[in-house]
Amino acid sequence: MKNVVIAGFCRSPFTPANKGMLAKVRPDDLAAQVIKGLIHDTGVNPEHIEDLILGCAFPEGEQGLNVARIIVHLAELPITIAGTTVNRFCGSSMQAIHNAAGAIQMGAGEVFICAGVESMSRIPMGGFNPLPNPVLYQAYPQAYISMGETAENLALKYLIKREAQEQFALLSQQKAFAAQQKGLFTPEIIPIQSKYGVINIDGCLRPDSSLAGLADLQPAFLKNGSVTAGTSSPLTDGAAAVLVCSEAYADAHGLDKLARIKSIAVSGCAPEIMGIGPVAASQKVLERAGLTLADIDIVELNEAFAAQSLAVLHDLPIAAEKLNLDGGAIALGHPLGATGARITGKAASLLKREGKRYALATQCIGGGQGIATILEAI
Amino acid sequence: MNINKVAVIGAGVMGAGIAAHIANAGVPVLLLDIVPKDAVNRNQIAETAVSHLLKSEPPALMHAKAAKLITAGNIEDHLPLLKDVDWVIEAIIENPDIKHALYAKLEQACRTETIISSNTSTLPLALLCQGRSDTFKQQFLITHFFNPPRYMRLLEIVTSPATNKDVVKTISQFADIQLGKGCVLCHDTPGFIANRIGTFWLQSGLLQAIALQLPITQADAIMTAFGIPKTGIFGLLDLIGLDLVPHILKSFKQLLPASDAFQALNHTPELVQRMISDGNTGRKGKGGFYRLQKRDDGKRIKEAIDLGTGEYQVAEKIKPDKNLILAALLSNNDAASQFAWQVMSETLLYSASLIPEIADDIVSVDNAMRLGYNWKYGPFELLDLMGVDLFVKRVEQEQKTIPALLAPRQPLYQTLANKPCYRDLGGQYLPVPRAEGLLVLADIKSARPPVLSNASASLWDIGDGVACLEFHSKMNTLDNDSLELIRQSISKVKTGFVALVIYNDAENFSAGANLTLLMQAIHQQNWAVVDQLIQQGQQTYHALKYSPFPVVGAPSGLALGGGCEILLHCDAIQAHAELYMGLVEVGVGLVPGWGGCKEYLSRQLGNTSRPGGAMPALAQAFENIGTAKVSKSAANAKELLYLSNADGITMNRDRLLADAKAKALSLVKNYQTPEPASFHLPGASAKAAMLMAVNNLFLAGKISDYDVEISSQLAQVLSGGACDIIDILTEQDILNLELQAFVNLVKQSGTLLRLERLLKAG
Repeated sequence: MKNVVIAGFCRSPFTPANKGMLAKVRPDDLAAQVIKGLIHDTGVNPEHIEDLILGCAFPEGEQGLNVARIIVHLAELPITIAGTTVNRFCGSSMQAIHNAAGAIQMGAGEVFICAGVESMSRIPMGGFNPLPNPVLYQAYPQAYISMGETAENLALKYLIKREAQEQFALLSQQKAFAAQQKGLFTPEIIPIQSKYGVINIDGCLRPDSSLAGLADLQPAFLKNGSVTAGTSSPLTDGAAAVLVCSEAYADAHGLDKLARIKSIAVSGCAPEIMGIGPVAASQKVLERAGLTLADIDIVELNEAFAAQSLAVLHDLPIAAEKLNLDGGAIALGHPLGATGARITGKAASLLKREGKRYALATQCIGGGQGIATILEAI
Repeated sequence: MNINKVAVIGAGVMGAGIAAHIANAGVPVLLLDIVPKDAVNRNQIAETAVSHLLKSEPPALMHAKAAKLITAGNIEDHLPLLKDVDWVIEAIIENPDIKHALYAKLEQACRTETIISSNTSTLPLALLCQGRSDTFKQQFLITHFFNPPRYMRLLEIVTSPATNKDVVKTISQFADIQLGKGCVLCHDTPGFIANRIGTFWLQSGLLQAIALQLPITQADAIMTAFGIPKTGIFGLLDLIGLDLVPHILKSFKQLLPASDAFQALNHTPELVQRMISDGNTGRKGKGGFYRLQKRDDGKRIKEAIDLGTGEYQVAEKIKPDKNLILAALLSNNDAASQFAWQVMSETLLYSASLIPEIADDIVSVDNAMRLGYNWKYGPFELLDLMGVDLFVKRVEQEQKTIPALLAPRQPLYQTLANKPCYRDLGGQYLPVPRAEGLLVLADIKSARPPVLSNASASLWDIGDGVACLEFHSKMNTLDNDSLELIRQSISKVKTGFVALVIYNDAENFSAGANLTLLMQAIHQQNWAVVDQLIQQGQQTYHALKYSPFPVVGAPSGLALGGGCEILLHCDAIQAHAELYMGLVEVGVGLVPGWGGCKEYLSRQLGNTSRPGGAMPALAQAFENIGTAKVSKSAANAKELLYLSNADGITMNRDRLLADAKAKALSLVKNYQTPEPASFHLPGASAKAAMLMAVNNLFLAGKISDYDVEISSQLAQVLSGGACDIIDILTEQDILNLELQAFVNLVKQSGTLLRLERLLKAG
């Protein structure tokens, strides 16, 4: 079987929906600029690219009409590159990477752009025209449960106190701010040109966060709940992209290999506790890689909610020094379709930066799913 | 000359409020103030004033977009901008020297044809003009607005013999038509009309209440018997600010001759002095005559000061006695009656003695007190209500001087030859002057009998083939009689008229359906009656919509529930700018049942300026009906799609009927009844989507479980019920859903509870 590698990762800055600098940028334009940046930074010959696989959680409006193919044109890529939009909600762009890995091993192409985008300013969560199946909604309302409520369910089930959530959120903010101060995001960020000037800095971070400030916030989803806006990932605009190719292709064309994809997995769980999804997915992916959790050096766990992350950590005891080294989604933001590519690309580049062997990237997914990828240093 | 651009100088509460109201009229306005010392931002004062306008309560702006018409600046850098301005309103501090210095600058900066006015409330025009050129004097007048300028309709205009007649005409017309003001010409005397009488009345009330040791709650309640707003004496003093009282009194003391009756009352009582020094200056201070105190359980209770001890006590709630007859009140001998007689007789005598000193005629004075102090009747109308003869007799007994005006003991107003007339000083009855183009329903009513009439509504012939349907039940609530008269009117107008206007003179167009009747049916569990009530309303409004003549609704004030629904069925609306319109049925545990859901849904679905798809229009209708959203103005009603873009807005309440009639006549030629709407609705899927949103609100503790039930019934209607998205529904299908949801809700105790709560609270 062919080895599959990640040979490049970049992203746009992530900015808060509606009030951030990217709110006025169309998501197709945003993704196109990030992909152009990826082509430029990796030096890959665009003529060799098989497909642009783009994750998006609400592919309608400006993200509709198979936006992946539209982005091929916007990014001025050869028309020979195909385009497909994949939707696995928050796991969409990690799924894009999985699709490419599978295709490469199938011999169905050598080089793929795996990207993701979400403008949560311009396309509302739930979409413009939510029309749930009324029979299912009556019989099994969990299928459509709101994300905040799932976090509250986990907080109850795992007895996660509000203070613990706030400590987790604060730590994420502190790690992200420190990384920003050290310029650790600069290499991965593609500055975005817009009518309103160049946007090159993450906008969601709250470096002024404090435990006292977090403790003052009202519950966001349940009247007497413990989850607040401060312990949830914010609505975010952003795009991310990774270059996925066969190891042989990377070697032949002198591409900079960040990491090898060791194993991949998806899993399902009860929708009302969707946040626990990473546990089953990680167990599967570790087993497929022939590894145990102890073998993993770097973990990128998507922080949809602090309560959700803490529930996962209860079942998957990951050492703090391995987890989300540059902060997570609570601080950086969570543009649904783009997050999978960000954390997988981030895990790959962290393996290289930290000189470690194995990395795990994993996410929970609305509707009750998990997705995970294990990467190996080269 | 047209007024296309205005400048207001002085961005205090009044200046900013005036600027806001000019912007409400769609006219660009410059708002300038001084540059604060060591300012980084030289426009800071005016800019801060604009940002306060956006947050003011009640809102000074009719529409957030109006704020964009206001340009903030300062008088050091921006005077050159006055070259483009047609009218400059000075609203700065009441200091003649500072005003003079400003006028000197204005004279340099403005074009010679620019009109300049002062918003002074105290300084005589003669003093203001001192040292100015003849050209300035020709262009200068006083335009005195009342606070808050958006809501208080009075504009006092004071001119000098030098003032150009065209200037007065231009300003009066602009103020009348575009600002919606009632202009009253005043003589150049201290306090002009409204504040001269108003301050006298307040001072008289304050002193008499102290002398009689009357509880202030009682004193204020008594005033309502005279048609005076329920703030009465003490509530109004709190609103004005007690700290201003000594200043106002001092200025009258200086400006009025020693012989003026006001001088006898002109002193600040010791209690008020003490309250001022304690910081109890009224609503802007810690409290005033009244204050709201937070109890331990977090509830706020109203307290009132005891005029004897100066201590606060829990304010006794006094409901004004609706059956109180003025004559009875005045003939009793208890403290309340003494108070009523003393204060009002003193005030009315004073008013009568001021003609012709402050105004040419009694009509001006009555208008000023109605529009500037929100009195239901002016002083001379009150005299007629009390009976001039009886009044004079009693005054004579008290051996007080009878003013010349009252000496003949004749009524002050009379209808002669079908025309309302007033008595002048010479005892002659002259027609009450009406502004050009005005159509007054009261005039029509006094001139001829109604075409149709019952206890709740009447139909009037307002000329040129147009009929006017008037509601006149209490709060103009709609009952079987109202519906019956609408049906009769449709038959009548078909044969005898070309168009119908729905209008009334009351403060509020209609508070909605009469819920008392509904309550009775619910108590008797007589569901057939409920069913019939809904169907009758649906059929009546349907008949109105499809009648073969144009129907124009002309609302002002509240148009709620059933009152909103009838407007939604009209061909067009000519609205007063102050329109508070909405489908508020969920507040009493119901859904709109007289076609309101159907018509509003149709308006939302017809709005092409939002993204498409099945849900956005439904979601908007669901949100606005589900939260009982009421418009904050007619302009806002357009945004909410209660009004359409083609509907008109009239700024001056008095001109509403004339404008509505003109609108109706404009629709007569080639009139076609509207095409019935058809609906593509997603049915149960849309309902599920709405319920998901409602459920999240419930979980977050933002709505109650009965709100969820009402929302669910509403969602059933707006989603189209059991239909599929490829089905086409008719108007009748939606009406059937309304009926079903309504009946489902009235059978539940939650609805009964809400109805009872509303009726109890009034």
